[in-house]
Amino acid sequence: MRLPDSVTGLFLVVLGAAAAYGGWILPPVPGQPVGPNVFPLVIGTGLALCGLAIVFGIGHSFEEEEELIPFEDGQAAPPPQSKLYGLRALLPPALLLFYVFAADRLGFIITAAIMVYVTSTALGAKWKLTLPLAALSPFAIHLIFGKLLRVPLPAGLLPTPW
Amino acid sequence: MLKTLLDAFALISTWEVIIAMFAASVYGLVIGSLPGLSATMATALLVPVTFYLSPIAAVATIVAASSMAIFSGDIPGALLRIPGTPASAAYADEAYAMTRKGQAELALGAGVWFSAVGGIAGVLSLMILAPPLAEIALSFSTFEYFWLALLGLMCATLVARSSPVKAIAGMFIGLLVSCVGIENPGGVPRFTFGLTDLFGGIEPIPALVGVFAVAQVMRAMLTPEPPPLPRRKFGSIMAGQWRLTKLYHWQMTRGNIVGIIIGVLPGAGADMAAWVSYAMSKRFSKEPEKFGTGHVEGLVEAGASNNASIASGWVPSLLFGIPGDTIAAIAIGVLYMKGLNPGPTLFTEKASSMYAIYLMFIIANIMMIPLGIAMIRVAAYILLAPRSAIMPIIMLCCAVGSFAIGNNMFGVVTVAAFGMVGYVMEANGYPVAAMVLGIVMGTMVEQAFVTSLIKSDGSILPFFERPVAAILAAMAIGALLWPVMVWVWRKMKPAQTAAAASR
Repeated sequence: MRLPDSVTGLFLVVLGAAAAYGGWILPPVPGQPVGPNVFPLVIGTGLALCGLAIVFGIGHSFEEEEELIPFEDGQAAPPPQSKLYGLRALLPPALLLFYVFAADRLGFIITAAIMVYVTSTALGAKWKLTLPLAALSPFAIHLIFGKLLRVPLPAGLLPTPW
Repeated sequence: MLKTLLDAFALISTWEVIIAMFAASVYGLVIGSLPGLSATMATALLVPVTFYLSPIAAVATIVAASSMAIFSGDIPGALLRIPGTPASAAYADEAYAMTRKGQAELALGAGVWFSAVGGIAGVLSLMILAPPLAEIALSFSTFEYFWLALLGLMCATLVARSSPVKAIAGMFIGLLVSCVGIENPGGVPRFTFGLTDLFGGIEPIPALVGVFAVAQVMRAMLTPEPPPLPRRKFGSIMAGQWRLTKLYHWQMTRGNIVGIIIGVLPGAGADMAAWVSYAMSKRFSKEPEKFGTGHVEGLVEAGASNNASIASGWVPSLLFGIPGDTIAAIAIGVLYMKGLNPGPTLFTEKASSMYAIYLMFIIANIMMIPLGIAMIRVAAYILLAPRSAIMPIIMLCCAVGSFAIGNNMFGVVTVAAFGMVGYVMEANGYPVAAMVLGIVMGTMVEQAFVTSLIKSDGSILPFFERPVAAILAAMAIGALLWPVMVWVWRKMKPAQTAAAASR
């Protein structure tokens, strides 16, 4: 997700301005000149200035292009490029949000199994690997965190045998 | 002194500490050796586990895991030319060239041996530097703390291998994140948007887990899987290391010293130490033409350097709560949680705990030699584990671990959000380390800044009046202006060479 510098820079200008304004409207502490508003004001201004500098390409000459180490014998096949391919990167955060919403209802074991199955499949594993992994790893994690470390993981539909 | 030392021994010679340290070492070795899983990520995922340990055992796991992971990143670097952690990237090519020349044992042995030596040199620097610095730090007022924190943040932006403007922007984003919540000078809800979950502020640890672990899984979704490791038989791994030590003792010492200095600088960590030391080794070598063809000299110096920086990174962390690198940033979070609040008084009031930390570092670095050799021998089997089996487990650990920090689901949301932020920033050349430092140091910077402003009654002058404050201020402002000077110098240089050519 490589965006042009002008886009990220503009975003920072907006973010900085919003932060500065948000700090500006905070109520001051009575009888004191400096309150909770000063710090966001300073940071927001700084951020907006940095954003402007980035839009105008200042400091770009310092950037080093990422070096991809080529494999021997040219075995690195170029990844299949389709429009949707880039969206796969959003899968991990989406799965975490799924965990947030589903864990209390479905319980830890089922939610975790779905997460493992989807992640593993997305990374190109065959069902021979993903199915046992999805079946066993939630129990292993539950054993460590739920049983040993006493993290209150939701039981949901499928309580663990311990 | 002797009594404190004995107390420290008593603190670490419990089964809990010993088992925690051993388990964390194995964990660190495994995570470090897997390409794409960095030492910082190993440490971040460990944090939820440390909640349930005693303070000393908690610190022990972090010390052991981080030291081991930095060494173990050398293994795939040497065997596959894919560095296991960014700290090994500087010399992965060189180590791989040695492997192709049939010297894999020598390359990996140098990794273990000089890592251990470097680690111990780092601890010695921590033991020697920290107490006198603590004496000085006791007289610091908020002005000094403000400039020190600013200097730390500026250093973090300087050493980032990216545009300094973007690094500073990253730092500001981190500071902005730390503004959220009601823990501010006025005690009013700030940037909470009416969400009660945000009242407590954004916890640094889930943010770190998101930036370092989730973002990595996201990147893995788009990059091809690294090739499997060819299985091979190893000869003696430690053979010839003593000879190398004698031959390159000056390079080793220089690597240790550079590593220590870079570790102490806030924000610059093991990867920077390795790059600088490798470059220095090449620059000052008697045979620079051999570099890149499988020459062990650079490996010695860089290997000694990156592990030295791990221990010395704890100096500013323990003294001021200013992290020396991203791993130390995580360690600071754990220290606060465990009631070992960083600060100069730590060295007087909790001296035995400090000695315990030193001892654990030494033990971890000694343990590294046998465990590291064992790891090299089994690495081929561990690296057989496909990425599609490891990444799902990492995801589960992220979810459960971030939930465990406050036993609420908001932690998981934070992890997901910061995974996105970290991924987008990294992809666009914004260094995430600068943001992480901003998040960790934000509250402290604001406190020092606002208290100083109140004390000075709105005037700027008191910020420069005290001598130490003035020196720190000069350094911080110098660090800010440094990129400008480099830029001007670069502009001048092509003009000069062009003029010389036309003559």
